[in-house]
Amino acid sequence: MSGPKVLITRASAVSALGVGLDELSANLPGDPGPGSVKAYEFHELDRETPCFPASRLDPVAVLGKKGLRTKDWATKLLLATIELACKDRFDETEGDGKPGICVGTAFGSVQSIGDFLSDSIVNGVNAVNPQAFANTVINSPTGNANIRHQVRTLSTTVATGFNAGLDALLYSYDYLRRGYLPAVVAGGLEELSYYAIMGMQRSGVLSPRGLIQPFGTAADGFVPGEGCAMFLLETEESARARGASPIAEIAGVANAFEPGTFAGAWASGSDAVRYVMREACAGAGIDPADVGFVAASANGTRPADAMEAAAIAEVLGGTPVTAYKARLGECYGASPALSLACALCDLKAGRITGVPAGYETEGGINLVVDSAAGAESGFALINAFSCDGNCTSIVLKNVP
Amino acid sequence: MPDTRIVITGLGVVSPIGTGSDRFWAAAVKGTNGVRPLSSIDTTDYKTKTGGEVLDFDPAAYLEPSKIKHMGRSSQFAIAAAKEAVRRSGIEVDKEDPFRMAVCMGTTMGEPQILDQGVRAKYDASDTNAIPPDLPRQYPCSVIPTNVARELGAKGYVTIIPTACAAGNYAIGYAFDLLHLGKADVVLAGGSDPFSSIAFTGFNRLLATTPDLCRPFDRNRSGMAVSEGAGMVVVERLDHALKRNAPILAEVLGYGLACDAFKMTIPDPTGSGGIRALGRALANARVAPESVDYINAHGTGTGENDKTETLIAKTVLGERAKSISMSSTKSMIGHTMGAASAIEACACVQMLNNNIMLPTINYQDPDPDCDIDCVPNTAREADLNIVISNAYAFAGNCSSLVLGKYKG
Repeated sequence: MSGPKVLITRASAVSALGVGLDELSANLPGDPGPGSVKAYEFHELDRETPCFPASRLDPVAVLGKKGLRTKDWATKLLLATIELACKDRFDETEGDGKPGICVGTAFGSVQSIGDFLSDSIVNGVNAVNPQAFANTVINSPTGNANIRHQVRTLSTTVATGFNAGLDALLYSYDYLRRGYLPAVVAGGLEELSYYAIMGMQRSGVLSPRGLIQPFGTAADGFVPGEGCAMFLLETEESARARGASPIAEIAGVANAFEPGTFAGAWASGSDAVRYVMREACAGAGIDPADVGFVAASANGTRPADAMEAAAIAEVLGGTPVTAYKARLGECYGASPALSLACALCDLKAGRITGVPAGYETEGGINLVVDSAAGAESGFALINAFSCDGNCTSIVLKNVP
Repeated sequence: MPDTRIVITGLGVVSPIGTGSDRFWAAAVKGTNGVRPLSSIDTTDYKTKTGGEVLDFDPAAYLEPSKIKHMGRSSQFAIAAAKEAVRRSGIEVDKEDPFRMAVCMGTTMGEPQILDQGVRAKYDASDTNAIPPDLPRQYPCSVIPTNVARELGAKGYVTIIPTACAAGNYAIGYAFDLLHLGKADVVLAGGSDPFSSIAFTGFNRLLATTPDLCRPFDRNRSGMAVSEGAGMVVVERLDHALKRNAPILAEVLGYGLACDAFKMTIPDPTGSGGIRALGRALANARVAPESVDYINAHGTGTGENDKTETLIAKTVLGERAKSISMSSTKSMIGHTMGAASAIEACACVQMLNNNIMLPTINYQDPDPDCDIDCVPNTAREADLNIVISNAYAFAGNCSSLVLGKYKG
């Protein structure tokens, strides 16, 4: 593929492990375990539900009070993450020089959408707040971000389920390589919401034990989480022109679809999964054996985890594997972007943060438990495989 | 690939004036009004009683019965339009590399009827256990393109860009880029949205829907009509199309995106995003303003949109704006949300092929703020070579797509 190198020059994340990349890096090796949720503003779940909320975020502390009153939680998560990552880049640029914004999310704010609908059902259509309607479009958080930072260059949302965070990076990568812009702030976002949790409960995908054990032999589902990770992607030329130091490179990307899945049942022989891992490495100009570690998509859904394990074993052999969802929960569209942020932290810290000890894991792959020393190759492969069949892999190259 | 040319070889439409692109075109040329009293929603408490519904849609014509119950109306529309587009393009899917066949879609609401069904089930029974277990999986909008891909056997890029009512243009634009970047040989691109009680309620509460007829660019216009539908196009590189002797319907010359950064639900009255998007589209397509023959307007029929869109055309096209024709398909089919610009792209392809400009119907009284030729009420013949399709959206998303007649 032709086109300029795409570098990451800023990054930030908000999750259950803290606010900002430094907190994420410091807390990643710890084992906070999940919290729980039951009551929402207008609804209550029928039981306390384990989850990984981004409860350390105080939006007012990051964003100030102005303009937050009508913003939903998803929007606050996004605005805070962008503010931490690159507020100054927006402040110091004008007009067509501003970076674009591209956000991956599975749902947008399904809390806002569901509440709007509930309000119209319970109180009547003429009782609903017209202002709340703006929050019901999936691109609402992204729109609020472009308004806050006066971005007129690009404002795009990608909504490919579990893959959305990585696919937003792919979209931005392509946009930069087409030469449309020199920089885009891109990443993934997802909020915990009553409607999403209720849907997951009804679908039977949540762990009845309230444990998330990627590649665990006794895994019985996942624990939901929330968060946001955003990255300033720039062409090498743009970064060099302004004297910015890159922290990593998006070295290779690939996306494909596995039609053999439906409602979460993965075919163990999925060739799309193997295809994207190989293609991402080829795009990076490396052999799969050169990958230092894999940040897996695994979340404790056994058929999907088994499928990914078999594919990793075949494509990458004994390469170390981790699954950050064990520490962050399944954050849907935000998950792969948060995984990329975690991988970035590990690359910088010279370590691989594995899954927590304390559960039996599948054989066949070199799964890191607790932690291990980081590989010297400086390449991490980030996977996102969705129950819809979306498959995305990105090769991240550390820039020391 | 600097010299790569991108062409459209197939199209499919699901709309309130007909399912199937031929039926859509025949009805549109006649100036058929597809906005009628609504049947799928109780309008008692609403100011507006009308909208656009696809009354002739039969999912069983496109899907096995066992699959229909596992997917929402948006997916069903998208599959119907995609299957028509593939059939018309003559693509033999089993002869293509499946990893190089992509699906790129746009939507505003996704599958809102699924959420509606689930929430109402909960309230009706006062019990979340009344929600069917397989229902939540049908809701995320990611299932729309994956359902299309699964049905057609595509295994390449499968993505959805929910940039509200400009989403169809964003999807076709991304298809254009994927082909230029060599990431796909064929892309099925478009948009889909079903009728949504959320959208209908929301636009009513914003006083953006018309209790009258939808009259874009008319002095007495009073709002938009919420509607539903889908549009899909098969997009591929010219060399790929020629190699398989495909019917080449139009050329995608370029596109441009921008945003207003103004308000979530109101366009910037200075047209800042639309001006940028149209300017970028022309630059991307390497087309001079004086070469543009026609604009398919976003043309919703709201006071703000139509006035601003006129300003955008005048600012970017200068003197040319006074003589150029700019009509609104939404006057006939209503506003199909994320499907709108995809259907309008299909309409533009048909206009290029037939040298006919579709009309803006229900037009009576000229508005000095919209002093353009909106092709009032009756379709008109014209020598069309380069056309533009505009689409704007909530969150200030603005887009313009440039299509050209294929001349070899």
